[in-house]
Parts: sequence; C-alpha cells; structure tokens
Amino acid sequence: MRYIALSLLIVAATASAEESNWNTSWDGTLYGYANAMTLRADSVLNPSNQIADIAKRTDTGEVRLNIKAESEDVRFTARPILTVRNQRKTAGATQKNEGYLSQWQVRVRAAEGLNVAAGREVLNWGAAQFRSPSSPFYFDNGRSDPMRELVGMDTVKLTWTPDMQRSFTLARVLSTGRVASAVDEWRNTWLLKADQRGDGYAVGVVAAKAALNAAFYGVHGQASIDDETMLYAEMGSSEQLVALQSPADVAQAFSVLSASPRRNTVLVGATYTLPEGQSLIAEYLRDNNGYTTAQEAAYFSRAASSPALAGQALGMAPRLLGRDYLHLVWQSNLMESEGYWRMMYTRSLTDGGNELGGYGETTLSERVSAFATAVVSSGKSNQEASSLFSRSVTVGVKVALH
Amino acid sequence: MHTSLKTSLLGLLLLSGVAYAAPDAHSILTSSDQARGGGLPGIVWEIKLNSRDGDKVDETQRLLVKAVDESSVAEVLEPVRSKGSKILQVERNMWLTKPGLSKPIPISPRQRMSGQASNGDIAATNYAGDYEAQMSGNESVDGEPCYVLDLKAKHKRATYDKIRYWVSVKRLVGVKAEFMSVSGKLLKTARFEYDSSIEHDGKRIPFVSKMSIRDALIDAESVMEFGSVRVKRVAASEFDLGQMQ
Repeated sequence: MRYIALSLLIVAATASAEESNWNTSWDGTLYGYANAMTLRADSVLNPSNQIADIAKRTDTGEVRLNIKAESEDVRFTARPILTVRNQRKTAGATQKNEGYLSQWQVRVRAAEGLNVAAGREVLNWGAAQFRSPSSPFYFDNGRSDPMRELVGMDTVKLTWTPDMQRSFTLARVLSTGRVASAVDEWRNTWLLKADQRGDGYAVGVVAAKAALNAAFYGVHGQASIDDETMLYAEMGSSEQLVALQSPADVAQAFSVLSASPRRNTVLVGATYTLPEGQSLIAEYLRDNNGYTTAQEAAYFSRAASSPALAGQALGMAPRLLGRDYLHLVWQSNLMESEGYWRMMYTRSLTDGGNELGGYGETTLSERVSAFATAVVSSGKSNQEASSLFSRSVTVGVKVALH
Repeated sequence: MHTSLKTSLLGLLLLSGVAYAAPDAHSILTSSDQARGGGLPGIVWEIKLNSRDGDKVDETQRLLVKAVDESSVAEVLEPVRSKGSKILQVERNMWLTKPGLSKPIPISPRQRMSGQASNGDIAATNYAGDYEAQMSGNESVDGEPCYVLDLKAKHKRATYDKIRYWVSVKRLVGVKAEFMSVSGKLLKTARFEYDSSIEHDGKRIPFVSKMSIRDALIDAESVMEFGSVRVKRVAASEFDLGQMQ
C-alpha cells in the first residue's frame, strides 16, 4: 500500500513540479473528555464484568489533526490522531498511548473526469443515521456516538466523474485499515459503486466481493418531497462470515456457521425540518441477520447457563441481536455554527428494549467548545440495549488549534 | 407587394430599434448573472460574512467557495473550530461534511434557507436559468437608472420563489433585490456593490465585491464581501460526495 501511495505521490509531484501553486493547510482539535459507565451487576452476557472487562471510567486526551496539500491536479490529505487514554478496569488503572493515521489519501487527476487515489478512506454513504445497511464495511456507522472516529479502509481507487450528476468508482480494498483483526474479512476486496444525483434525489448502487466472503450488494437513495421533507432508504444483501445460530428451542445448543445464508437488511427513513431549522428523523430497520423474539430469548437463556456460553454469546453475537428497530432523532439546526444538540431514541421491536441518548455542544469562545453525551438504557439484562450497562455519561472540552 | 415589403422592413427596423433601446429581460439577466459568477465556466472565491441579529453580532465567517452553475462547494475557513467543514450542493441536494464525520449529512432545502445568507447567496448566481423574468419598468436606485425585473422561480432548486431585481441600465449589473415568498411576502432585501472586475472572453467585466442583505421580518442583516475571485474551470469531481476527503 505504502509503495502504491509513494509512487502516486512521486508521479504527482513530478507532474506538477512546474506548478508552483501548491496550497498547504492544517488544522486540528485538542480533545479532553471523561466517560463514566454504570455497568449492570446482573448482566447475563458479562457477569461481574469478567468477560468484556469494560472500563467504568475512561479519561482521554486526544489530538486530531487535518493536513492538506493540493495543487491543480494533486491532493494529499492526512488525519493523524494521537491519543492518551487512562482506563479504570476491574484489575486497576491502565494507560494506553497511541498514534495512528485514521485517514490519508493521495489523489491525482489522471485525465479529464478521471481520478486515481490511494490511501485510508472511510467508505461510507447513504442518508441513514442508525445503521448503514448499504455499506459493506460500516454497518455501524458511528452516528450514535459523536466522539467515535471511524478508521478508514486501505484502498486504491479509480473514479470517473463524467459530470456533476454521475460518478463511477472501482476500488480495491487491501485491508481494514489500522484495526485489522486476526481474520480480516475485507482483505482483498473489489468494490464497484455508481452514483446518480438529480433534481432533489440521489441514488447509489454498490457491489463488493471480498476474497473470504460472498458478494455484497447494496443500494441507497434519498428524495426531497418538498422543502421540509426527505425520504430515504438503504438496503444491503450479504452473507455473514461468522453466524452464531440461536435456535428458538432452548434445549438446542448454539451452533456456529462459517457463512450464513444470504440475508437482506433494509432501512427506511424520513426527515422533517421544522421552521427554525431543527429536524425530526424517524427510521425503521429490518435486519434479517438478527434473531426473532424467540431466538433472542433463547440466546440469553443459553448465555445465562454458563460463563463459557456467555463469552461465546457476547463474542460471536450478530451485529444487532434483534430484527426490527425503531430509531428517532430530534436535532438542532445543522447550519448553526455556535452549538449543536441531538436527542436519540432507539427501541428494539424484537425484545422491547429502549435506549435514550443525547449529545450537546456549546461554544465557549472562538476556539473552545464544551460537550456532553449521555446514553440511558432501560430494561432487563436479557434485552439487548440494557444487557451490558444502564448508563454512560461523557463530558469534555475541545480546543481548535489552528 | 413592393409597398408591403417596405412596410415590413420599416417594421423590422423599428423593432430592432426598440430592442436596442431596451434589451429583453432574459438577456439583461444573463449579463447581470456574469457579474455574480453565473454563466462562467467556473468560479472560485472567498467570502467574508458578517451577520447581526438584533444586538447580537455573530462571529465573522470566512468561506472558500467553488461553483459551477447550480453546483457549489463551500469550505469553512473561519471560525477555526469549524475549519474544514464543507457544504456541498448539487442540483437541489445538499450535504454537510467535515473532517472525522462518519458520513455526510443531507441538508434539507429549508435548512439551506436558514441564516441571513442562504447557500443560494454564497453560490454563483444563475437567475437566467432559474427564473422566468418579466420587465416591470424603470426606476432609479441611488440616482442610477435601472431596469426593474420581476423574477419567478422556474423550478424548486431556485433559492427564492420570487425576486424583484433592479439592474443598472448602464452597467448591466444587479444593484438591488427583494426576495419574496410564493405569496409575495417580502423576506429579505439586498444591495450589491461591484468594486472588482474579472477577465472573461477577452473582456474585463465588473464583478460583485459586496452584498448586504437585510431581513424584512426581523432586525437582522448580513454583509458578504467577495475576494480572491478567480474564473477557472472547476472539475466535476470537486462536487462528487464520494471524493470530498
């Protein structure tokens, strides 16, 4: 990967050597925030916090930088992140310091309408907030946790943009960026994507084929009905690499499939903008990779029978336990520059569990903002939302550096 | 037959004379658009935006805008805490994105209208393409004779439903505008200054340097100053959501 990027950079730099008008810029944000979690004492999946070993308190200091250099035909961007994290776990306090490139890219305009790019890129799209079924890589799109930083995929891509309305991308995903697990599901993946934008609508189709997994197919679309209302949908069809089967009959054991049958996931949503610019969002998600009500109940019953099974249940759980979810959002005007807030409510229609979340940010000065985020789960230990913790609160400040 | 030909020729001459004296509304609009970035192969400019809402003075915002026809991308340069945020508009679609954001967020047309300066004000002006124009008469603005045009939106992607537009007879640039709702209710008034100029098609033409917008409903106003104006072709990929990194 680094050789491809270096080659691109050398070619690009040589090609644009005659151009002296390189623009360079950087900006950055310094974060300091503390998180406290109230774990469930009676957790089925994580009894006495012995399996997941979740930190009850985490203090984080972080610098997130954005570096850019560009000429007429070449653009280089990088987003390095330096983190110092102190966690108080069951065994005591631990500190972890790390530095990594969350995203970076060298992009060269190879011909009219044709760009070649190499780097680490977040390949995420569509209008959905709760989950992104049309992305093979980022089903959990990170929108529910404003502090979360998605790490990009190591990618080489060719994009043809014949006009403002259309674009076509062919990409080779080499690996899952920085956090590649032992089995990198997306190592050596071919990705094809086509997008069309028109008067009040945008649609995209995507196909991905990983070396280790069956093909993924996705589609996303949005349409503005009027000035206030937008409807959107995302869909994905995939086979999961590892699927923990939970028969509804509790007497039967868990079984693990190395590849699940092909299943579809669909999200439909609507957003309505209020006169002052606040917006209301409603989304419904159907994920056929999840369990039915009876299967989920059996999942928790089996997990409760032994710590080993609890570990298996937690470690191999589907990306969402249930099949049907309702997600509601009420948020402030996104065009306001002096603050932002959002309230989120999620209900699992499969197990009846509820989760309420909120995020607020206010400007203290030109450079300094304070923020807080909180998540409250109400329900029992055998409901997904409340299976691990009942409350999580984060407060912090951020300082613009440049 | 001979008499009829002479009459026709005389009629044509008279008509051309009338046309010379008062160009049609569409060509006036096309000319005035160029002085605000419209009808050009592409434009890149910096906008400094100062707003006041009652006694509350907002922070100065600085934006780098790239625009071609009705597509635009505006990158925030100031305030520093919002640096790198981008607002992309393609046709009637708008998205907000910023460094580290997990995915771009769609913005509704109603949100794009919020604030004193809407996205339509910071992008290039394409009134000739977006509005049906009718000549309404002649008036003077600050002593300068102007054509008065009544504009009505042709499609939903137009920022305003109706506009009354005063275009200088001599300079063919818009000097004053009233922005209205469908019902004709006055929303905002704007005044324009043209202290800059650009080179286009071998000609030097005046170019907007300042736009002052006053809200008609509340005591609020915005002043946009346009600087570092460059007429240049902007690649379509600059407006591709998948290549905004």
